[in-house]
Amino acid sequence: MTRVGWRRIVAWLLILLLWLLLMAALRFFANRGPVQQASATPQQLAHGRYLAAAADCAACHTAAGGAPFAGGVPLASPFGTIHGTNITPDADTGIGRYTSDDFYRALAKGEARDGHQLYPAMPYVSYKAISREDSDAIYAYLMNQPAVRQENKKNGVGFPFNIRSGIHLWNLLFSGAEAVPASQGASPPWQRGRYLVETLGHCGECHSPRGALGQVDRKRPLGGNNDLGRFAAPEITPAGLSARGWNAALLRNYLGTGVSARAVASDEMLKVIDLSTSRLDEADLKAMTAYLLGDQPATPRTVQVASGDTAASESGRGYYLNLCSGCHGRDGQGVPHVAPGLRDNSSVRDADPHNLIVAILDGMPEHDFPGRERMQDMPGFAQDLGDADVAALSSWLRQSYGGQPQGIEAAAVAKLRKSRSPH
Amino acid sequence: MSTPVNTRPLTLHINGRPQAPVDVPEDMMLVDVLHEYLGLTGTRFGCGQGVCRACTVIVDEADGPREVRSCITGAHWFDGKRIRTIEGHAKRDETGKIVALSPVQQAFLDHFSFQCGYCTPGFVNAATVLLEKLAKFPVAADDVEATITEALDPHLCRCTGYVRYYQAVKDLVLNTPGLVRENTR
Repeated sequence: MTRVGWRRIVAWLLILLLWLLLMAALRFFANRGPVQQASATPQQLAHGRYLAAAADCAACHTAAGGAPFAGGVPLASPFGTIHGTNITPDADTGIGRYTSDDFYRALAKGEARDGHQLYPAMPYVSYKAISREDSDAIYAYLMNQPAVRQENKKNGVGFPFNIRSGIHLWNLLFSGAEAVPASQGASPPWQRGRYLVETLGHCGECHSPRGALGQVDRKRPLGGNNDLGRFAAPEITPAGLSARGWNAALLRNYLGTGVSARAVASDEMLKVIDLSTSRLDEADLKAMTAYLLGDQPATPRTVQVASGDTAASESGRGYYLNLCSGCHGRDGQGVPHVAPGLRDNSSVRDADPHNLIVAILDGMPEHDFPGRERMQDMPGFAQDLGDADVAALSSWLRQSYGGQPQGIEAAAVAKLRKSRSPH
Repeated sequence: MSTPVNTRPLTLHINGRPQAPVDVPEDMMLVDVLHEYLGLTGTRFGCGQGVCRACTVIVDEADGPREVRSCITGAHWFDGKRIRTIEGHAKRDETGKIVALSPVQQAFLDHFSFQCGYCTPGFVNAATVLLEKLAKFPVAADDVEATITEALDPHLCRCTGYVRYYQAVKDLVLNTPGLVRENTR
């Protein structure tokens, strides 16, 4: 090789080195910056606290038994486990160097202060319509919480989804999608409800179906998603809700307390009620129901029980009397503070049997609801009942208490049994 | 609203003996059948919600014994299953007179474990199931305490006799040959 050739290579290597140094320095300084202070009146702090509850920040940013907002909550996604980050005002591990501008960008655009792109597990696509005032109020509230020094957990996202710049492309494709409202309406409560449900509450992140790349399908808002966790997030459109017999009063009780004649909250929804909706005022709860049901709510449907005692339904009834009726009542009426009624129960009435079957297989832990309400734990019956037995039991329940005539196939039970996480 | 409930004949197999068939309402829980139809009143009805476990009986299945809560499980569920209740533990002579308590019962007595005794049948059954499981699958010496806690934890004792229940079972586990193996660590 010639002398000139060597020089050229060395020159290029130097340029590369300088570039890498520059990037490292940029990153370094981006992580430094002055520590911010946010002053706020007690009223402003209370307002920020209220909004942080409405946006359910704690669900992902407060770990069980951990310091408030210090992060560490694992979120399972099809792309790997992502952890909620530390959003206390700690300078190095939290958001202590964020300005209110930085905070707004993270919320509405999913950009961290150092410029890296957040995973869409942070619901910035939902939050993008957040008002600047509300963002600032949440910021002021968080910045006045105790700073907790706690490093963020490493995410378990595999190649190629761990390439953060790939998310820019994802954003280009999906984050700008125009959101269609889930119901018809125009009244001020409906407008407010839309903001609470779609933006702050980000209900669609679980309750809307998703596409192949994990993007929320904004054309079918709140249409239900049974592909996210062990339990399905049911359809909560006006059509879906009225088909399962929900009206405004029942919904309001459910959101406000976790308990209603249609359902008691469990799994992820219990957390939502506990950390978010039970902390909302009456006007906002009414606004949420106004949006979910629309300005002209449909009359909730009543259960039409198709009679016809087949052999299969007779065995289903036998399982019910032997294994379920002790707590849910001989006639499915439930026992207060022990077990919910199954007659007219939202999950029993659901066209999708997913949650009913999972509940029978896995059981439920005991539940403490805000206030003094509670429900006992339910044993799972995966060991006692085979696929055909669970199919017979759930078919009988759906026919007798839910007005769902079509039977459940044993194969549907087998599939859900197989996807059961070992514990 | 209320659907009529019929009765059906039921033959239970309890404490090693098949019982005479009885006509039992379809929705009756096992504990009520034991008390009202078979005169076996040793099983206790506590909370009636499956929480306190005073009503626990043993069901012997192909893969071993198992605790079942008789207050929330329908009697007809036990059709064709083999049940053991508190009445079945002690050794009896041919006249039915008790000649010796079971090791679990004796250990609870020796340790003065119970006070009011209401939860005792559930504890005796739970500890018996635990011992029989350990005979098949011995536990490492280091895990004895955790294993006992796990087995007895769901059982409630309102006199708070937990420490003595625990001590009695620990004593029995450590002094019965074959239940504990060497630590592998």
